Amino acid sequence: MPRRAKNTRRRARGARRPQRYKDVLHSQGGHRGHAFRCAGCRLEVSVDAPGTTHRNHCPTCLVSLHVDRRVPGDRAADCRARMEALCMSVRPDGEWMIIHRCVSCGELSANRIAGDDNPLALVRLALKPLRDPGIAQRTRLAP
Amino acid sequence: MSTTSRTLSSTPSTALHSAFSCAWCGRTASAVADDGTQRHHCPSCLQSPHVPDPADGGSGDCRGRMSPIAVAVPRTGDWMVIHRCARCDGLTSSPTRADDNQLVLMRLAVRPLAQPPFPLEAFGDL
Ligand SMILES: [Zn+2]
Ligand SMILES: [Zn+2]
Ligand SMILES: [Zn+2]
Ligand SMILES: [Zn+2]
Repeated sequence: MPRRAKNTRRRARGARRPQRYKDVLHSQGGHRGHAFRCAGCRLEVSVDAPGTTHRNHCPTCLVSLHVDRRVPGDRAADCRARMEALCMSVRPDGEWMIIHRCVSCGELSANRIAGDDNPLALVRLALKPLRDPGIAQRTRLAP
Repeated sequence: MSTTSRTLSSTPSTALHSAFSCAWCGRTASAVADDGTQRHHCPSCLQSPHVPDPADGGSGDCRGRMSPIAVAVPRTGDWMVIHRCARCDGLTSSPTRADDNQLVLMRLAVRPLAQPPFPLEAFGDL
């Protein structure tokens, strides 16, 4: 799936949320075999994610694990429960962000999409509000 | 980062009769919506001051501007608004009310599709 060339704008603005520095495990290429089993779909997932410093959700089903507390990648939370993709948000620079919610403690987190995330899963998530049967009522714009 | 946003008035006993003035758009609204439920955000601009719940480890007095960044559709119940604090980046979710500005909600709902990271033409039917 070709991606739109929005990278320059994205870089210029920078991330609003602090991101942990990319660590040597990913950059040196020596740990390419690192993988984890997804808590949602049980598929084996490589930790290397194109376009991001660390993978924080499954590229197939978008499920994540509650391991970060404040900064993405800090791995400071001890909850470890499954985080489900709740909805899609858009940063001011146009980048799509998945809002995850922990099924155990309710914590929310916003995570950048990765280059190899399943586009169909992303679009389905983005479409969720528009598929709500109650939407007709909302668009009846009575004063 | 708290996950539940607190209501706009802190004491439930007085909330029924109190009104608040939105710090951002200036709208004056009742702290309780027409259906008798507490508001969590301004019905016009959907923004609110950030009052982190101390139970969630929050300081309780951030007061940063919480702007709506997304709508979520629970399996049951009404739409939720996801807010992000401009000051501390905390995220909250809060229920919408019947008299919330539907145009602003719809704008939030369609925004991802209006700014897709890849061409949507490839998706015939979903
Ligand atoms: Zn998965
Ligand atoms: Zn959790
Ligand atoms: Zn307002
Ligand atoms: Zn705040």
